Amino acid sequence: MRQRLGRSWRADPATAARRADHPPLAVSHDDRNARRIAALCERAAGLGLKRGMGLTDARAMYPALEFVEADIDADRRLIAGLADWCDRYTPLVALDGGDGLYLDITGCTHLFGGEERLMADLLGRLFDQGFDIRAGLASTPGMAWAAARHLAPAGGKGGIIAPGREAEALAPLALGALRLGAEIVTRLESVGLRTVGTILHAPRAPLARRYGRQLLDRLDQALGRLDEPLSPRLAVAALSVERRLAEPVSRTEDIERLTGLLCATLKTHLEQRGEGARALELALFRVDGAVQRIAIGLSRPARDPPVIERLFAERLTALAEAIDTGYGYEVVRLSVLAAAAFDDRQGDLAGDGLARHEDLARLVDRLNARLGRATIFQPVAQQSHIPERTVGAVAFVGLVADEAVRETGSSPEPAIVAPRPIRLFKRPEPVEAVAEVPEGPPVTFRWRRALHRVVAAEGPERIEPEWWREEDGKPRDYYRIEDEAGRRYWLYRQGLYSAAAADLPRWFMHGIFA
Amino acid sequence: MAQNAVARELLPALRRRIAAIEDRPPERFTVAAGQSACPASGGTDARAGTVLLRQGGMPAIAAGPAPVAANRNATVADVVATGAAGFDRALGGGLARAALCEIHGLQARDAGAVTGFALALASLARRSQAGAGAAPLLWVGAADLAGEAGFPHAPAIEALFGIPDHALLFARARRPLDALWIAGEAAGLAALAAVIVEIRGDPASLDLTATRRLQRRARAAGRPVFLLRLSAAPAPTAAPVRFRVAAAHARPREIFGRPLPGSLGMPAFAVTIDKCRANPGRQFMLEWNTDEHRLHPRQPQDPVAVVPVSADRQDHAPAPRPVVARRPGDRRQAG
Repeated sequence: MRQRLGRSWRADPATAARRADHPPLAVSHDDRNARRIAALCERAAGLGLKRGMGLTDARAMYPALEFVEADIDADRRLIAGLADWCDRYTPLVALDGGDGLYLDITGCTHLFGGEERLMADLLGRLFDQGFDIRAGLASTPGMAWAAARHLAPAGGKGGIIAPGREAEALAPLALGALRLGAEIVTRLESVGLRTVGTILHAPRAPLARRYGRQLLDRLDQALGRLDEPLSPRLAVAALSVERRLAEPVSRTEDIERLTGLLCATLKTHLEQRGEGARALELALFRVDGAVQRIAIGLSRPARDPPVIERLFAERLTALAEAIDTGYGYEVVRLSVLAAAAFDDRQGDLAGDGLARHEDLARLVDRLNARLGRATIFQPVAQQSHIPERTVGAVAFVGLVADEAVRETGSSPEPAIVAPRPIRLFKRPEPVEAVAEVPEGPPVTFRWRRALHRVVAAEGPERIEPEWWREEDGKPRDYYRIEDEAGRRYWLYRQGLYSAAAADLPRWFMHGIFA
Repeated sequence: MAQNAVARELLPALRRRIAAIEDRPPERFTVAAGQSACPASGGTDARAGTVLLRQGGMPAIAAGPAPVAANRNATVADVVATGAAGFDRALGGGLARAALCEIHGLQARDAGAVTGFALALASLARRSQAGAGAAPLLWVGAADLAGEAGFPHAPAIEALFGIPDHALLFARARRPLDALWIAGEAAGLAALAAVIVEIRGDPASLDLTATRRLQRRARAAGRPVFLLRLSAAPAPTAAPVRFRVAAAHARPREIFGRPLPGSLGMPAFAVTIDKCRANPGRQFMLEWNTDEHRLHPRQPQDPVAVVPVSADRQDHAPAPRPVVARRPGDRRQAG
């Protein structure tokens, strides 16, 4: 569509007249088993078409009308991207259905020179990006919603409703301005109640009895008698610092330096709170509206600018290909997503022990920042006697400082009687083995296409299956085997020879000894 | 005599140049008190009773009762005695504590011997470090760490080498390049007892520069880095020491002072010193004592005798004849 009509085909009334080269356009979607119009361009609207109208009717009226299938996912992505972009005005951005955003700008307006200026800035920037938007500003979400959707002229702002003047502003509006369900609106209209003003001063009890609580709740919410919480899309950061740039930056080194500067500001605030950051996020607002977020985690709280800056440097290096800097970034924000108490610990005079722990924690953070989570892990003993299940892996988070704690905390070591191989295959590999006697060690075996002659064998060690885990597991007889070259292997025979002999025991290679 | 003097000048000059190229501080030769020495020939001559220590983590010759500290950097504590005297001597006193050490296995199935030998050295180095109670060992591998050779098995490492599972760390990277990056970052940390890097094959990222970086970091941090290379061709390396390890037949376990037939005893390795300042090319049969956690030279023993003759064929061992007397040099025929 864009390729055909050009990039800027937004039809504001002035240019639409000049640019009458494209046919009226409508977006259709499936609604209750019928294809209906979901959205219209101005020309189509000017023809008298309406949202919700059947596609067949519209086509009958105007055969030249052009249709595009609605792409709900793309719409959702777009509104999410817009919400990200609006993060620059306030951290509290909530979605309103599929086509609206709530911005809670409490305490943020002074940064932009007042409510008026903030709204003008927002509308101007979005207009430049090619959006046709309506905005309203009020003390309650309900009133702002009504102002944006019912008061605002096309492509303009719905004005700012001063606190306390909600009733006055709402009175002339249609009932739809109260965010009511279509059914209630129809019922109210059928008895002649068409504007909000008609129910504003009506007795409350009969209204509630006939039309349910929702009507009065919505009214009270819009008037500010009932509190209405917004649920922001993203968790609000405990702390965040941002920097607006006069000139967009795009070089990685510049971003790193900026991060360092932001960290320095963050440090003093973290110090005041006695905290260190556990998770940080760098939000990069690109000039063209896209927002990129880069998150890092720390294994122990930190607030030193060089440490944090280095982690972000690693992350940026790792993402070098994935990040598209485009025309550069205009706002850079660093937020602390999670913080924890930062205890200033006193080291010993040599300052050795603590520094080492610190070093290791930083190494882990760097690895995780650059190569992804769980790059570094530790083996842990598991409650199982099946060799491949005896060891599990947990992500390494840092050394346990107190050795005694570990000693008491760990489960009792299972006593290993028989030697275990130094390298164990996760999945035992089948081998072809020839044994002298059925239940004896092999004489030769073929593993990975190479023939090995056995010169010494020790065993067997029988390991029974875990009956509580698998129903018909077979016992394994393990042998330590040395071949001609002196290499030692751990082979096992699975199953038993029996008279039934439905399936013969099979041989597997399970590990290599030192 | 004149020739000797020229050689005396030339050789140190050459060594200084090599040291400059290899980015090491120049070596110093120290002669133990009361012993005559000829520095020019010291590189290869150990019989003269010379005590000759070099700097840069790699002492060359330390024949004699005890190595003498040449200077601050080349103290006795710079090397770790492995327990096998001949092997230590060949390495010039022991394994360098702060250096990169390459361990090669020619085939993938030598992984057991290579892993065992590396862990033996790492275990020795870890225990010789002051306050090494909790210092962990980091094992870095590429994506195929668990694949072809199997994953290092923690219970066995604890049982054989005394490194508990809470002192073991594994890092897995997707590419060999990343694995080398991890190793480089970790090699500079004194918090780790040792770093073991396992690289399979000959990736392009593992070149002289990469090994030099590891060597420099290891030297700066004072911790050993072991580079395990499986099924790889020996290439130029900045590591001062390179071993080639293959499996060796294990001696049977001993019970009441007698070998128990059909049993497999302690891990044994055939170690060739591939590269070393002092005397490369020598081969050692070493055995890891799992109880004392030391390397031993394996007792010279006919490898065939390890195996009971009946292991792979019918028992037709001749009845032992009483040997009354034996001529010196007639051993083979008599046995």
